Amino acid sequence: MKPSVLSGAKPNAVIGGLLVGGLLVVVLLGYVWTPYDPIAIDLAHPLAPPSWTHWFGSDEFGRDVLSRAMLGARISVTIALGVVAAAVIAGTLIGAIAGFLRGWVDRVIMSVNDAILAFPGMLLALALIAVLGSNRGSIILALSVAYLPSIVRVVRGAVLSIREREYVEASKVVGDGALYTMVRHVLPNALPPVVVLATSLFGWVVLSESALSFLGVGVPPPAPTWGNMLSAARPYMENASWLSVTPGVCIALTLLGVNLLGDALRDRLDPRRDA
Amino acid sequence: MLSYILKRLLLTLPTLLMVALAVFFLIRLIPGDPALVMLGDAGDAASLAALRQDLGLDQPLPVQFLLWVEHALRGDLGHSILTSEPVSVLIWQRFQLTAIVVVVAVSAATVIAVIAGLAAAWRRDTPLDLAVVGAASLVLAVPSFWLGLILLLVFGLKLGWLPVVGYVPFSESAVEAALFLVLPILTLTITESGVLTRMMRSSAIDVLRLEYVTHARAKGLSEFTVLSRHVFPNAFAPTLTLVGLILGHLLGGIAVIETVFTLPGLGRLMVDSILGRDYPVVQGCLLFTAVVYVAVNLVVDLCYPLFDPRVTAQ
Amino acid sequence: MKPSGVFVQLATVLAVCLGLTGAAGAETVLRARLNADILSLDPGARRDENTDAVILHVVEGLVASREDGSIGPMLASRWAVSPDGRTYTFALRQGVTFQNGAPLTSTEVVWSLKRYLDPKTRWRCRFEFGDEGITRIESIAAPDPRTVVVRLSRPAPMFLKTLARNDCGGTGILHPDSVGSDGAIRRLIGTGPFEVSAWKRNQFIELSRFARYAALPGPRDGNTGGKRALVDKIRFLIIPDGSAARAALLRGNLDVLDALSPTELAGVRGKRGVRLEINPTMDLYTVLFQTQDPVIGDARLRRAIALSIDTAGLAKAVTWDTAKGNTSPVPRVSPFFGPVQAAQRRVDLAEARRLAKAAGYKGQPIRLVTNRRYPQCFDAAVLIQAMAAQAGINIQIDTLDWASQLDRYATGQYQAMVEPFSARLDPSLNFGLLIGDKAKDPRKAWSTPQARALLRRSMEAERPADRQAAFDDLQRAFLEETPAIVLFSSSRIAVVRQNVTGYKGWPAAQQRLWGVGLR
Repeated sequence: MKPSVLSGAKPNAVIGGLLVGGLLVVVLLGYVWTPYDPIAIDLAHPLAPPSWTHWFGSDEFGRDVLSRAMLGARISVTIALGVVAAAVIAGTLIGAIAGFLRGWVDRVIMSVNDAILAFPGMLLALALIAVLGSNRGSIILALSVAYLPSIVRVVRGAVLSIREREYVEASKVVGDGALYTMVRHVLPNALPPVVVLATSLFGWVVLSESALSFLGVGVPPPAPTWGNMLSAARPYMENASWLSVTPGVCIALTLLGVNLLGDALRDRLDPRRDA
Repeated sequence: MLSYILKRLLLTLPTLLMVALAVFFLIRLIPGDPALVMLGDAGDAASLAALRQDLGLDQPLPVQFLLWVEHALRGDLGHSILTSEPVSVLIWQRFQLTAIVVVVAVSAATVIAVIAGLAAAWRRDTPLDLAVVGAASLVLAVPSFWLGLILLLVFGLKLGWLPVVGYVPFSESAVEAALFLVLPILTLTITESGVLTRMMRSSAIDVLRLEYVTHARAKGLSEFTVLSRHVFPNAFAPTLTLVGLILGHLLGGIAVIETVFTLPGLGRLMVDSILGRDYPVVQGCLLFTAVVYVAVNLVVDLCYPLFDPRVTAQ
Repeated sequence: MKPSGVFVQLATVLAVCLGLTGAAGAETVLRARLNADILSLDPGARRDENTDAVILHVVEGLVASREDGSIGPMLASRWAVSPDGRTYTFALRQGVTFQNGAPLTSTEVVWSLKRYLDPKTRWRCRFEFGDEGITRIESIAAPDPRTVVVRLSRPAPMFLKTLARNDCGGTGILHPDSVGSDGAIRRLIGTGPFEVSAWKRNQFIELSRFARYAALPGPRDGNTGGKRALVDKIRFLIIPDGSAARAALLRGNLDVLDALSPTELAGVRGKRGVRLEINPTMDLYTVLFQTQDPVIGDARLRRAIALSIDTAGLAKAVTWDTAKGNTSPVPRVSPFFGPVQAAQRRVDLAEARRLAKAAGYKGQPIRLVTNRRYPQCFDAAVLIQAMAAQAGINIQIDTLDWASQLDRYATGQYQAMVEPFSARLDPSLNFGLLIGDKAKDPRKAWSTPQARALLRRSMEAERPADRQAAFDDLQRAFLEETPAIVLFSSSRIAVVRQNVTGYKGWPAAQQRLWGVGLR
């Protein structure tokens, strides 16, 4: 009795889908149109509150907050996607190999993994960015390296649990090769925690990027990311709250959508539904 | 079991060595050195050279590294270049504060996560579940330092309930110290409970469908017993892994919270010393953090079989 | 009673018991703020601006800077310079006591000066008295307990000004009991109005009134004049975060908040119980150019960039209207800021485009290095990029962390760099930041022989009118060649509570808490 994919759509999938869809629309729209040029300064109208000319107000240099938020969506999302993709792909591969093969391969991988993991992630990113320079590429690389070990560990943990289960044993008895067993049985069951972690990771990356901006490294000006908009808004929290509310809300809505969607995806991916 | 522990401890040595090596060279890869930072815009070539010689920075790198390792093995982590304080004393003082905040916050967050996650999984797809998932997802979405600033504004400035600046060590007054720590701990608890709740709920859902749960229910056990004796121990494992990861990750990430609440903790020490190129402090801190992290994860790994008996410690 | 009421009561009682409100007991405690812990108690050695500020409450030198940057007497009541300019004879003041009770005599002065010149002390200004410096010190003698004679290898009109420099620790005279057997400072014993009473690392440093301080007559004047301790204790709280410091001041946990970032002004203006003290300083915010770079080495391109910058508008925006733009390395508040310096370079986009074209500029990106540690540097870079774009000049910003920027600055590896310089109380020192031999010192942006000759002339001339003429010539050459652009000298913003009396900032920017009281 296989439930159809679309029947009984859960609220989290709907809300998540709407939010993520909305985000994609804003990002794509930003490629062709924004109310103002996001980097054009206007020293005559700094810190203007939201009005018909500036829907979300203007910042300390008179730049339109809405336009910057739209460009920021593109930049923040690209960085986060880049990091999640790199970390998940590399991490799943490495974690699966370690968990499935065990033995000395596992030990070596986990040793190096632990060494990287023992570095506080943000500091590792800080140091790498200081060496490589403060640009989008190095931020993606630095954050990928910082988050890779978490994924490796979780995947390995899941694989460890799964390989003891009956259908894996059964698969071995039947004579399937190791690679086949891994791909057909182990990985799909390891996916749900990875999906959950990946969606959490997306959030962590956006937040890490804003923390890095807060600490003084991050995407260089005049490019806006939600993170550096948030950190630049700090001195004005009391009297120009629209500066911090806008990127804060953008981050919150994006992450909410991604997380809810991730949950819904996880439910769908659960292989025991087929049983 | 004992041989497993010993083997694991031995295994950590290469990890620690790798960390030490990596830190040592990574920090020196970053342009700029402590002599520059100390002299600032008055650093002409002669003064810079003299200061570098004083600080031992002109020796070849492998020599510097070996000297440092040799001292470290004897427990001497050197002295801060910028402030001359002994690094080990500095780290220990800062760590105490950070440890209090992190341990209390993560413990509280774990408790919240277990209760909320189990409840949400148990009453899946009900308004309760949606509320828990919604709240957890929302909490995940908010930057910790932003949350901290808002709490500071509301409770510290507008309502005036809690103090705003600085820190009083426990040795001076335990109650005062506790007051200063309420807001940072609250911020961290809220921030970390999101991801823990989601993980707990996710694995609880997995376990709830398994046969032995149906079996236990069929046996007539109360829901509470089923949840606490059968579901929780088995579902807790991935969450425990996550707790270990979080504890390790927080030792660095807490720098942001410590900056907002002006706490003299380990996180801020690390960031400041990286930005100030205070090599001995950076090296000492990261080595120490690595040791703590490895220890925490060893404990977590040892506890794993307690929760999932099918995983044997190989 | 509401739970919150109990909470507040409990907290208040505890706070009062611990003396945090500063009103407990008969002792007056002035609470000030440092944005980082001090580095040491060794004057002019392991130091930064905060360290200087605290130490200068405790030690005093033979001479000290006046409010306008000129030199006034401190521990020396007067001095005589020999006709050949090489011998300085200082007459010491009578009745001055060290903080350990010992009287000030020439023995301690000679000991202190010799200690500064000893390489082991790592005195920052030692190199000023070496081969690359202003002169060598041949001998320091004490013919009698009230006289000190210093002999130089060649005349150096900047000698006294160098001694008085804040970053030299004011060449503060210490008592030999300050150092232990290993030569390190174990207790700072000076002659100043305050002495060190407690130092809790990363929390606060506390100074107490030195009861037997012998103040000069008259009002406070820079680091000299009448310095009176009007409070029993000063507690410098260490609060790195600007927002937290501001919140502490507004709540009453802090009395004096020095070095408020202009971006925090909006949160303080109009608030009850506090007032602002905004005073111009003699620091410099500049854009340095690498004149040896193939692209930016062409003076026409540099002038084009300079002509595209609306300095007045930039300064107003970046400093939140607390400082005025200035295209001269001579700060506005300097006595040498005359009509030539006041003639500011104006925006001229058409001329900028013409010059860029004449220089063969094809739109290549020019990299401008800046940092986030000084928000005014960061904001200035953003504005410069936008303004230069209007003249068709493509500037790209490299944001580095502070230490990395210092590295590039020290090695000259940049095309353009927004660089802040801390306050120097004499225009020769300001120009000296920019002028030098690039081959020997890559930090110097302006390396032409003519500039170096003009700088020497300004330093060797004795009459103010001659010095002014040298500065005028330097100004004209500076605008013509544009080895760098000066944007503004910042203003030091301090916020004090209404019950604080007597606080005033001054061009050296360092906070002074003598003459400051609590009503």
